[in-house]
Amino acid sequence: MRTPYYGADRVIGYLFFLPLLIVLLIFSFIPIAYSFFLSLYQIVLGLPRLGENFVGLANYEKLLEDPAALNSLEVTIIFVCFSTVLEVCVGLLMAVAINESFRGRGMVRAAILIPWALPTVVASQLWRFAFNDQYGIVNYVCFGPDIAHYKAWLADPFSALIAIMLADVWKTSSFAGLIILAGLQTIPDELYEAARVDGANAFQRFLFITLPLLKPSILLALIFRTMDAFRVFDLVFVMTQGGPADATNVLQFYGYKKLFDEGMVGIGSAVSVMVFILVLSVSIFYLNLVGTTLLKKKETLL
Amino acid sequence: MITRLPRLTSKLKRSLLTLLLLLAANSSIADEINFVMWKPDHPEVWDRILSDFERQTGVKVRVEIGPNSSTAAHALVSQKLKNADPDLDVFMMDVIWPSEFVSANWIESLYLFFPPQDQADFFPAAISACTIEGKIYGVPFETSGGLLFYRKDLLDKYGFGPPATWDQLVEEAEYIVSREQSHNPALRGYCGQFKQYEGLVCNMQEFLLGNRGKLFDDVERKSTIGFPANLHAVRYVRDKIIGKVASRGVLTYEEPESLHVFIQGHAVFLRDWPYAWEIANNPRESSIAGKVDIAVIPHFTAGDSASTLGGWQFALSTFSRKKTLAWQFIRYMTSPSVQKTFALETSQRPSRRSVYNDPEVLSGNPHFAQLREAFEKARPRPAIPLYPLYSSIQQRFYQAAIVYPDSSLEALAAEADREIDRLLKLMSEGKP
Repeated sequence: MRTPYYGADRVIGYLFFLPLLIVLLIFSFIPIAYSFFLSLYQIVLGLPRLGENFVGLANYEKLLEDPAALNSLEVTIIFVCFSTVLEVCVGLLMAVAINESFRGRGMVRAAILIPWALPTVVASQLWRFAFNDQYGIVNYVCFGPDIAHYKAWLADPFSALIAIMLADVWKTSSFAGLIILAGLQTIPDELYEAARVDGANAFQRFLFITLPLLKPSILLALIFRTMDAFRVFDLVFVMTQGGPADATNVLQFYGYKKLFDEGMVGIGSAVSVMVFILVLSVSIFYLNLVGTTLLKKKETLL
Repeated sequence: MITRLPRLTSKLKRSLLTLLLLLAANSSIADEINFVMWKPDHPEVWDRILSDFERQTGVKVRVEIGPNSSTAAHALVSQKLKNADPDLDVFMMDVIWPSEFVSANWIESLYLFFPPQDQADFFPAAISACTIEGKIYGVPFETSGGLLFYRKDLLDKYGFGPPATWDQLVEEAEYIVSREQSHNPALRGYCGQFKQYEGLVCNMQEFLLGNRGKLFDDVERKSTIGFPANLHAVRYVRDKIIGKVASRGVLTYEEPESLHVFIQGHAVFLRDWPYAWEIANNPRESSIAGKVDIAVIPHFTAGDSASTLGGWQFALSTFSRKKTLAWQFIRYMTSPSVQKTFALETSQRPSRRSVYNDPEVLSGNPHFAQLREAFEKARPRPAIPLYPLYSSIQQRFYQAAIVYPDSSLEALAAEADREIDRLLKLMSEGKP
């Protein structure tokens, strides 16, 4: 039960709340509101004489009719689906592995965190080199020193998208792993002991104890990863610039080019707002899911 | 208290007065102009030339160094112009900017200062890139264009000369690669820049215009990508170049990657800009130093060679308060003698054709003879105010056409034409 605050407590409460409010206002609400405001105007930087005309939702209509924008939406959704699912799976394996006690666990834990700690731009350069058609390590692993058979991975629409996903999985699985590890450590050992007494083998213990109890942390990892994946930009910027033939032209990169290269401020802002709405609805969906599972858990405990 | 106030004010007044005087003195240095350029490769040469100018004219030049990338420099300069900054007098302008800057009324027409008879010594393509609706808006300072670099040793070995047509290039490349492959398995015939970016537009334009193609109808103000001659050239690139004489990797190459392949000895031919000459012939960076030569870009049997024009020009801001002084500076920097100094001491490619005939310049830079021939045949990219957007549409078309071997070129080109015509309509609304 929440107890209502009175008098000085109330003031102190607001004081504690104030810094967060200011930060959110300056760095989230105002930019989002401003983007939305801009997205209702036709503003072209290269044509200052055109002025700034209010056009209502015309920019959004244009987006929905632009095959390049729709392609970007499709690419983004494919990217989000495959990379987040893979990331959570790999993260789960990592978490289960580093939760066990074995010699050198500290080392392994640190090693797993390295990709996540690297700045994305650095990691993207690294992967761009790895997939290079002349000296890339991926080609060396596949074909050895026989350069004549080397493949240009980033020149093929299909393999380029896969390459970006792999780079993202490599980079962020450890983040999902960390969240799931936190969940793993809250599972009491007694449950496993009880299961062992009942004759459950390791796989059964994982399937019937670990996995159900991890559901909230897995969902949490999914939320974070999905929201992040929708906003993927740096990987594409460094590795492919949206190519080949728009195969990796994700929404954020499409919007960036519209705004900064082409000077279409209105349409570029409309793309940002669309991405915001997408991320927001996905997180509301997830939060509802988590909310209900958490509630159920509480009910069963009661 | 009250008695102290006047004292304070007078002190304040005095300091204010000094400040004002200082400011006035500063702005009354009528003989000072502000110039924005990129970071020079040879700052000591620039310093000397600038101080020569200052000594001769008494005009002081304040140099502001902007970013090196053309896109970033564009952002800086257009920001200043948008704000009508009076402290920008002269700046370096890329060949693709004039149309936009003129349509925004940001740069001054130079027709009074720079009449047609004075323009004759400059490369026609560079002059045409600076000419919008019949008026001249810039003075070319450095000219550049697409070139064909080739392995002279390999062509000589098999008795070939530099190819004049694309068919010859393909034939020579295939023959040489088939003979050399046993001891150089990584060798490919051709290398260029086909990634989805501005360089793709430059490379493809050379194929299209080299087939008597036409991108844009200036009279009707219409996009003409769908012309059969254009599509023939695009199909040629898709069927004969990408994945054939060139590896599919060129679809991911910008200039550095393609040059890297060439200087590793992994390509017979390379399409690149003049800067590649110094690097390809530098033994510390290149495994083929001294084995490289330059030719003009090949063409199709029906057409003529059409190198894509690049380079930098001087432009004069509309908001400058010192236009006459600024012009003095521009005239000095583009004079034959200064152009010659730059050519001799920095190997910069002059914009004046006469400098290429100078025996002193030629003996220091023997490859200038070929450069001149290529730049004479250079063709600018279409002058369209919203160039970046125009370029994006083209990039999308070219990549879709050459990445997917079974795409319908006609349908893709029709879509690109439609998009560009919509863009033109938007631009005509933006006119006064």
